[in-house]
Amino acid sequence: MSAIDTETVLKIEQLNRSYVRALDGKDMQGWLATFDSTGSYICISEENERRGFPIAYMLDDCYARLQDRILQVEEIQDDSIEHYQPRHFTQFIDAEALGGGRYRAETNFSVNYTPADTGRMAILATGRYIDEVLINGEAKYIQRKAVVDTNVLPRYIAYPI
Amino acid sequence: MTSHIPLIEESFKWPAKFNEVPKEIFEKPELWQRELETIFYGEEWHPIAHRSEIPNPGDYKAGFVGEMPVFSVHGEDGEIRVFHNSCAHRGATLVTDSAGCKKEFECPYHRWLFNPQGELVGCPNSKEFSPSFDKAKFGLQALRTEEFCGLYFVTMSDKTLPLNEYFDQGFLEPLSRILGSDGRLKCVGYQKVYYDCNWKAYCDNDGYHAPLLHLAFKLLNWQGGKGTQHITENGHMAFQSELKVPDQVSALNDDSIVKFKGRDTSTGSLVLSAFPLTIFSKHLDMLNIRYAYPKGPRGIEVHYTYFTHEDDDEEMIRHRIRQSSNLLGPSGLVSLEDAAIFSRIDLGNRSPGNAIFQKGVKDEFSLSFDVGQNDESGNLPRWEHYRKVMGFEREKA
Repeated sequence: MSAIDTETVLKIEQLNRSYVRALDGKDMQGWLATFDSTGSYICISEENERRGFPIAYMLDDCYARLQDRILQVEEIQDDSIEHYQPRHFTQFIDAEALGGGRYRAETNFSVNYTPADTGRMAILATGRYIDEVLINGEAKYIQRKAVVDTNVLPRYIAYPI
Repeated sequence: MTSHIPLIEESFKWPAKFNEVPKEIFEKPELWQRELETIFYGEEWHPIAHRSEIPNPGDYKAGFVGEMPVFSVHGEDGEIRVFHNSCAHRGATLVTDSAGCKKEFECPYHRWLFNPQGELVGCPNSKEFSPSFDKAKFGLQALRTEEFCGLYFVTMSDKTLPLNEYFDQGFLEPLSRILGSDGRLKCVGYQKVYYDCNWKAYCDNDGYHAPLLHLAFKLLNWQGGKGTQHITENGHMAFQSELKVPDQVSALNDDSIVKFKGRDTSTGSLVLSAFPLTIFSKHLDMLNIRYAYPKGPRGIEVHYTYFTHEDDDEEMIRHRIRQSSNLLGPSGLVSLEDAAIFSRIDLGNRSPGNAIFQKGVKDEFSLSFDVGQNDESGNLPRWEHYRKVMGFEREKA
C-alpha cells in the first residue's frame, strides 16, 4: 500500500473509534453517523468472501438499508432476543489512497460479548474490516465490510459488528 | 435397531396425551446415543449437498451424518458420491476443510491416494502389504445415496424406503419448487451459526408462533394469507402459504428488500421440515436449505445455504442475494427471534413436566393430520414418529 500522511491515518482511526464507541454503547444513530450518505455496511464470513459467494450475515448496501438496520435493532427484535453487551477491540493495519479523498483501510477486530442472561464473557467474532473511507473535512465510511474469520458464529449476531 | 444402552424406561413413560411431550427428552444426555443409532444411523434420509454446491469435477463438501464425518464429491465421470470421510487404510480423515476442489484426495499419514470416484490409486510400499491385499477393495466407503432435483440424500440403513416413498408427493412437490422446479440452481453462499440447544428444540418450530413471535410479520403486513400444513406419519411437514405482498411497506425505508419478483403468489411461501432436522424454505424470492448438524446432546450447527436459479437475470440474482442476506438467516429481519427461542426453550425445558401443545388440538388422545395453517398440532405426528423410533412406551389413558 502507498504511504499516507499521519493526519489521514489519525482521521481514519478516529472514524473507527467513533464506530466502535457507538456499537459498544448501543448508539445506533451514532453508528449511522459514521457512514456517508452513499454508505453501505456488509458483514460476511471469511469463507464466503474467499469463495466468491455474495451471501452475507448483514447486507446493508444503501443508506436506506442502514436506516432499516436501526429499525430492526431498536424496534423489531428488541423484546424477544437475548441481548448482549458487545466490546470491540480493533487494530489499524494499513491504508492506501485511492484518489479523490478516498482511502482503502484495513483494521483487525475482535469482538467480545457478555450475554445479559449469563453474564459470562466469550468471543463473538474475530476478523478484519475492509473499508472505503471518504475524507472531506471529516471522515465517513463509503463502505465498511466486516469479514469475520469466525465462519461458524457461536450465536446469532443481533447488532452490526 | 434396538438400543443396548440402559436407559430410563423404568421411570420414563411417554404421556398418554398426544399433545404432551416430556421436557426431559430435550435434556437427558444419555438419549443421544440412542438417537444416533435409531434416527441418524437408522432408516432416515439426510440431505448432504446440492449439485450446485459442488458443480465441477473434483469439487467436494464436508458434512456429518450424526457424529460420522462424510464428504460429497463430484467425480470426473459427472457422478456425485458421498463417502465416509475416513481413509480406507487406518481411518484418518481425508477432507479437513468445509469445501474445496481436488483432483486427488491424499491421506497425509501414509500417503494413500484416492481419486474423486473414491478408488485407491496409490499406496506406497504395497509390495510389502499382507498377502490378501487387493487395491480394488480398498476404495473409500460410499454411503447409500439418492438424488432429487439435484439434492443428494444419504442413509446409513439399507432398509430405508426409497426416497420417493420416504417422502410423499405432498412433500416432494413443494420441495421441487424450493429446488427451482428443475434443480438448476446456483449456490450463492452460506450463513453458518451454532445454536446452544438440543437438536430437537431447534426443529420443533410450529405454525402457531410465526405471526406472534415475529413482529416483522405485523410490520410488513404479512398476516392473513391462506395456507395449509401437510403432515406425514413419518414426521415430515410441509407448510404452504399464500404470499401476501403489500404494494408498499411504509415501515421500511427500503421496501425493495421485501418485494416478490417471482410469479405465483398463491402458495408462494413454503417451509418444509424433513425428519429428523432439515428445514427447506422458499419465501419471497429466497431459496434456502438449512443443513443441520447436532454436536452431541447439546448444541447444533446450522448451515443456511442459499441459491439462485440458472435462468435468473442479473437483477433477480442481486434481489435474491439482498433478501437472503437480510431476511431469513440467523440475523434476519423476520427470523432472528427464532434463534433466541431455540436456546430459551432449551433452558426452560430443564424444568419438570411436559411441554404441552394446544393450538389445533381437537382430541388429546388421538393423532390428527387435519392441521390448520397456524396450528401447532402439526408437530405432534413427528413427535409420535420420534417416540416410536426411540421405543418409548406411551402411558395408558
